[in-house]
Formats: sequence, structure tokens, C-alpha cells
Amino acid sequence: MKFILNTGRTIRQGKYIESKLGKGYAEETSRCQIHPLDLLELGVEEGENVLVKSEAGEVVLVAVADEGLPKGMVFVSYGIHCNSIISASTHGTGMPDYKIHEVEIVPTSEDRKTPVELLEQLGGLRYAGN
Amino acid sequence: MQEIKDMVCPFCGCLCDDVTLEIDGDRIVSTDNCCTIGNAKFLGKHRLKNPIKKVNGKWVDITYDEAVDTAVDILLDADRPLLFGWSGTHGEAQCVGVHMNEILGGVIDSTTSVCHGPSILAIQEVGHPGCTLGQVKNRADLIIYWGCNPIEAHPRHMSRYTTYADGYFLDNAFRNRKVIVVDVRETETANVADEFIRIKPGGDYAVLSSLRAIIRGKGDMIPDSVAGVSRTQLMQVAEMCRTCSFGALFFGVGLTMAKGKYKNIRNAIELVDDLNRHTKFTLTPMRGHWNVYGANEVFSWMTGYPFAVDFCRGVAFYNPGETSAVDVLARKECDACMVIASDPGAHFPRACVEQMRDIPLIVIDPFQSLTTPLADLQIPAAVTGIDAEGTAYRMDGIPIKVKKAMDSDYPSDTEILTRIYDRMLEVKGL
Ligand code: SF4
Repeated sequence: MKFILNTGRTIRQGKYIESKLGKGYAEETSRCQIHPLDLLELGVEEGENVLVKSEAGEVVLVAVADEGLPKGMVFVSYGIHCNSIISASTHGTGMPDYKIHEVEIVPTSEDRKTPVELLEQLGGLRYAGN
Repeated sequence: MQEIKDMVCPFCGCLCDDVTLEIDGDRIVSTDNCCTIGNAKFLGKHRLKNPIKKVNGKWVDITYDEAVDTAVDILLDADRPLLFGWSGTHGEAQCVGVHMNEILGGVIDSTTSVCHGPSILAIQEVGHPGCTLGQVKNRADLIIYWGCNPIEAHPRHMSRYTTYADGYFLDNAFRNRKVIVVDVRETETANVADEFIRIKPGGDYAVLSSLRAIIRGKGDMIPDSVAGVSRTQLMQVAEMCRTCSFGALFFGVGLTMAKGKYKNIRNAIELVDDLNRHTKFTLTPMRGHWNVYGANEVFSWMTGYPFAVDFCRGVAFYNPGETSAVDVLARKECDACMVIASDPGAHFPRACVEQMRDIPLIVIDPFQSLTTPLADLQIPAAVTGIDAEGTAYRMDGIPIKVKKAMDSDYPSDTEILTRIYDRMLEVKGL
């Protein structure tokens, strides 16, 4: 199904901003908030994973019901998960389309990755000291 | 145990300056007056203990001297370096950054380009009818939050400056001050509004234009519904705006990041302009990082431009969309990058993250961030507001001295940058 992806700050994401390698941040930034009726249509239960795809890439997120959203829109908190599927095009303004981005969502049995795992997949290396 | 009062929270653009910290030795043990986010920032643990460098695919601990030399080598070796971040550090460090960029002939950009850059583009077109937050608190009887969610992003904004604050010139401010929230989703903030306007995604421009038409006496042109908002509600909201004594429109990245980008803001400013023919109305962007406004001030007074400044021609050049960080990275144009006081690894589109991975990358940050795994060098700095001090600008442009609560062995951002800059001049014989 096609959706519009909206991303933004959440208070929990803000709280974990200086411990981004931890579990709390990983959990918060990999949640895909979605209207309960859309969940029904997708055939996905709350807490199950979904694969979110755009022209820029794809990422696995967990579905969380949110009645505050309009149908057809999903919300993901700022972080590396949502940015894995946001295109770098800024239409000459310097600003990517963080608030309106077309995505396709399908159910998946794949696991979610943590931010560090996503970076490692890209070739990044975590500092294990301290 | 020692208690320090009137400290400044270095997290969001509210820059709350009424924080009390309780300190035990070299540790902050509790905070008072902070919101959840500010509290977490003050109590933050797990700082990086020393500079680290990636050697043959492994991180090794190094000294500050080695770190400065490595940073200088990387930057002087580059043809087109990008110096990005700056919003989470004090103005004095931003000054050194601009000097450094002039020597390097690189691009210097702050997180502005991915938050309120479009607002600045609009302000450059049609001006900024702004005021201080003190004026809003004491006078405004109508508040509009458009495309922002202060309860989550600026948690004390409503209690310090608007909805829940007392107003010197207002009787029973809590009851009499009306709040309108405009958003595409029903946020926590929308739930406490007197009037919530839900707009279809991408419909902000049309709704702003409709309100302007009504204010200008052309209400009969408005169709039954505009971007999901009924004509009746538009008429009602326009009337609330026209008849208030002092209105304050706050807007967030819901407007700057949506379709239309800076044109949305231009329309919002022009709505405020139209309203000022009937009453007093002001507009303020809800700036995110605690000193992102400062980065705009410092860059402006030093180079003439507020962000995305390119020195490759030997003089300052500014063209957002071309010289802004996301574009420079996405075009794979820069050949080295220094990130300070921000985390583009978490917040930039993947194509930009891949470019940061592929070029030499320096990070100056007290903590491991999601940019760290991509970096070649990280230098930990003191945290402004905890063990470093300096100037910051609140979201309404008011400069505030951010004090330190304690001393530590960590150098401040200014000290680190000055050492790099001085060494750079030495190597170049300048
Ligand atoms: S509202 Fe912002 S500045 Fe104030 S305490 Fe919270 S995070 Fe800090």
C-alpha cells in the first residue's frame, strides 16, 4: 500500500539524543505510527514488522497504531531509520522532503535493525571502548 | 552537595534560563525546572574519554595533540571541505569555525539548512515581523502553533511563554488566551488547543492563502473546503485572528519541510502582514537546537550570509540548494568533512551518509553519536552549559550567556577549534 511518510521530533527521541547507541533510542526511532484502519487493510497487527520502501531505499520498522494520524500517512520519529528511505533531493532549497515522502509499505517477517547495525551495514565501525 | 540556580538549558531553542542544578563533586545529580529532555541532557553519561582515531579499520585512543595534527592534515589536504553542524555549540566556537573556513576555502553550513533554512529564505524575501518571547508572554491573547508540536519538541514553550504562562498585561491569561493548532496530524499539542485545524498533507499554502483572502474581505471566493478544512472553520479562525489584541504565530518544520518549503513561510509572513492592518500580529520560527539562531547570527555578521556559506571563490558566496550541506554531500562534491555539535549520521538522507563514509570525516562531540561509526577521528569536547560556557541566541534572537556549572579536563569547542586553526595557520605560514 502507498503512504505518505512524515517524520518529526518526539519527546522520547529527544531524551535519548545523547545515548543514541542505546536500546531506548533504537526502539523509538524504528516505530512506524500508522492509523488503525490502515493496519487492518495492510493485514498487520500492532507490534508486527513492516517493510517501508521508497525510491531511496528500504527499512524494517515495527507498526504502532496511532489514531491521531490521518489515513494514508505514517509517522516515524527522526533518526537513521527514516533517513534510510528519504531522498537527498532538496528541489533547490537545501531541505529534503522530511515531511512528505511517498513510500510503499508491506508486511514482512524480517527483523528490525538497530541504528548501529544499519551503520555497520553501510561500512561504519562502532567504537567499543569507554 | 551544591545547588546552582539560574542555569541555562542547552537543548532546545527555548533556552530556559531558570534551571537549578544539584551537584555532587564533578557530577550533576539532579535538575529542577527542566523538562524531560533538558533533564536527560544535564544528566547525560558515557562521554568519550579521549580522542579516537580509526587506524587500519580499528579505533585507537590518541592524545589531543595527535588529534589536532590529524584534523589539520585532513582539512589542509582537502580541496573542498565541508564544515557542518554548529547549532549545538556556543557563538565563540562558531566564530573560529568561520575563520577556519575562510582559510580552507570550504563550505560552512549549520543544521539551519535542514530545519529553518526555508524560513530564512522567506524572511530574506519579505522580512520578519517578529518580537521577543517576553512580549508574547505578557501581551498575546491569541497563539497559533502551525506545523509544530511544542509539547514534544519544545516542552516548556507553552508554560514559559504562552498557554500556561501568566501575562503582565492580561487578566486571567490561562483562560483568556486562545490557542489555535494547525497540523496534519492530531498531536499532543492539538489536544490542548481551543481550535484545531487539520490540514491535508501539502495543503498549508492553500489554507494560508484562504485566510489571507478572508482577512482582505474576499471570503466569498473561498470554496466549501480547502485542503480538508471547512469554509466555516476558516471564517471562524480568520475572525479570531482579526479581532484579537495581540496575536503570535509560531511555526515549525511542519511548514519548512513540507511541499512548498519557503513559499509556505512567505505566505505565513504575508498573512501576518495582512493581519497587522487590523491588529498586532507577530511571527516566530520554533528554532530547534539551542544555538542554531546563534549560528545564523555569527555567520551573518562575519560573512553576510546566515548559513550555507561557500568560500571557494575566496569571498563568501551563498546559494542554498547548491551550497547547503545535503546538496554538497549528495553531489559527492566535498572531499573531507568536519562535523561539530550535530549528528548528520542520524539526520541526513542515506545518500549523504554514504558520502560522509567515503571521505575523511572529523567529528567534534562529547558523545558517541551516529556519525561516530562513519568518522576517522573524533575529538571529545566539554559540554556548553555543564563544563564550558559561551553565548547562545534564543529562538527570538535574544543572546543569553550560557554559564558552566563546573570545571573539567575536557577542552571546550572553542579551545579545540582554536588549536586546529592556529596550527593550520602555522603550517600554511600565515
Ligand atoms: S524546553 Fe528546551 S530549553 Fe527548556 S528545559 Fe526543555 S529542552 Fe531545555
